[in-house]
Amino acid sequence: MNRYKHAYVLNVMSDDHPGIVAAVTGAVESLGGNIDACSQTVLRGYFTLIMIVSVPEQMDAGQLVERVRCSGASGSEFQVLARRWFPPEETVHGPVDRFVITAFGRDQPGIVRRFSQYLAGKDINIVDLYGDRSGDEFVLIGQLEVPTCWDIRMLQADLEQMGAELGFTVKLQHENVFVATNQLRLMALPSGKR
Amino acid sequence: MLRTDEILSTIEMLHAEHLDVRAVTLALNVDDCAAPSVDHLCRKLQSKITSRASRLVEVCDRVGAKYGIPVTNKRLAITPISTLLAGHGHGAAVQVACTLDAAANQCGVDFVGGFTALVHKGITPADAVVMHSLPEVLSQTEKVCASINVASRKAGINMDAVGQMGEVIVRIARATAARRGFGCAKLVVFANIPEDNPFMAGAYMGAGEPEATVNIGVSGPGVVGSALKRRLAIDEKLTLGDLAEEIKITSFRVTRAGELIGREVAAEMGVAFGIVDLSLAPTPDVGDSVGEIIKTLGISRVGAPGSTAAIAMLNDAVKKGGLFASSSVGGLSGAFIPVSEDAALAEAVGAGHLVLEKLEAMTTVCSVGLDMIAIPGDTPAETIAAIIADEMAIGVTNDKTTAVRIIPVPGAKAGEWVDFGGLFGSTPVAEVRNAGASGRFVRFGGRIPAPLQSLSN
Repeated sequence: MNRYKHAYVLNVMSDDHPGIVAAVTGAVESLGGNIDACSQTVLRGYFTLIMIVSVPEQMDAGQLVERVRCSGASGSEFQVLARRWFPPEETVHGPVDRFVITAFGRDQPGIVRRFSQYLAGKDINIVDLYGDRSGDEFVLIGQLEVPTCWDIRMLQADLEQMGAELGFTVKLQHENVFVATNQLRLMALPSGKR
Repeated sequence: MLRTDEILSTIEMLHAEHLDVRAVTLALNVDDCAAPSVDHLCRKLQSKITSRASRLVEVCDRVGAKYGIPVTNKRLAITPISTLLAGHGHGAAVQVACTLDAAANQCGVDFVGGFTALVHKGITPADAVVMHSLPEVLSQTEKVCASINVASRKAGINMDAVGQMGEVIVRIARATAARRGFGCAKLVVFANIPEDNPFMAGAYMGAGEPEATVNIGVSGPGVVGSALKRRLAIDEKLTLGDLAEEIKITSFRVTRAGELIGREVAAEMGVAFGIVDLSLAPTPDVGDSVGEIIKTLGISRVGAPGSTAAIAMLNDAVKKGGLFASSSVGGLSGAFIPVSEDAALAEAVGAGHLVLEKLEAMTTVCSVGLDMIAIPGDTPAETIAAIIADEMAIGVTNDKTTAVRIIPVPGAKAGEWVDFGGLFGSTPVAEVRNAGASGRFVRFGGRIPAPLQSLSN
């Protein structure tokens, strides 16, 4: 949970270089704030950071934006957004299972849209997304929360058909196969009958 | 959260290198099907197998699709048929085998193993019925697989059984002469037969097993071969130690994937999960070959000096990776060298680089024995028995499983190519040197006593 009562979501974008996190966190600390959670991504030379920052006394989000924006070294001003953080509303979701979609093929506009629209239509939540164009090829990887009500083979058939229309190889696989083949952590394996 | 490089690496292994689960074998205890009337026995057997196994193929396909890993072979293994045949005769054995064949067809599985007798210390009347019905059983059925255990570390080698099996193999070859002796491809003669082996033709369910269990065999050598080639393409200055490490890591990954599938299949079938067998089982597909791996390890002609050391290293690294990946390792768990099922091995036999004696040497350090080797049809039964005896001696003395699956091809001479079709592949007929020179040894019969290693208590 957050350290202080008043929390903000802070988003920073910049060209990537050493010292960004140091500068942003310095600005937050100068306002008496605490960093409760953070995550960063760098994509083709550009840096983006999302943070949950809490402070003891309420302040205007613009004040936080201005302090962080000016913390960058000269010539590399940050683009900054901030808004008040409120706990996400409790929504009733059915049970979900974690799957990974991968798609490989010749790049063309609309690939991410086609797949994401299909997933949205099935109430499938994308919890992590990666895409990269290399040469003429595009690879798309999405980590998904799939409602357990769906027959996976039907989803696979739909996605493979969509992939075939786009010239893409598409696979939808349960995440445990990736955990099993890469990580040492224990999986919740079915034990079968004793 | 998974990392992108982890996902990409698994995708490469699954789809570019064709990782699969080679075999899911549902093992069933059928001892409660015993009955004084053979008709009643067969009805019970058919009912038990189809009621317990009819969903196996569908479950394997569904679980395989969920993880994106196909299950290539779905099989059944039963408790030794010699138990069910106690008190019955030759005709009953053939009728029971036909029932097994029909049940396997009804379940959609590709083989049913367990037409088995354990005769390492002696032959019961029921064991004799099993052994001597094999020519009819293996010629009249498609999916029934047989195994006879003629030796063990504790008992030594039953040379009476070895001698009889030499003759039985010749009779099976004659009974299936129209198919180049193919019936012999469905029979394995063992030393130290494992009770939980998922691979055919030697799968059966041992006495210490539960009522039903799922045993699985993980992916084939193609994945290991591709991993080695990829690593060598990046860095040519690798040592054999580095390559062993690569094999170990690959084995870890395929074992974890295999166990995931096996456990889920077992849970869905409502039976216990048994073991993961780490064996590298080749297929005739190009690249899915243990011989190819030996070549990648720098032996340009399989069978040349160094081949035994190379396969020893492969076998060891596969076990080390697999053992860390799973606490349920069992079965045969070694690299197989079935000649007709491995294109590179068959080619090496054809070129004269790989001979029977070198294959025998290689089986001292890998699994599982002289496997899928075609020999001239006029090889004397006593010579076949002596080949079996040699391989059994390796198993008994070194406390490992060894086996012989050898096919005397009627009418064929050394060098002639024979095609057994499908996964059984094709191979040149191997030369058997010194044929006919072992008759007296085999005719002594009796039992070669258990070696010193048997006294381990």
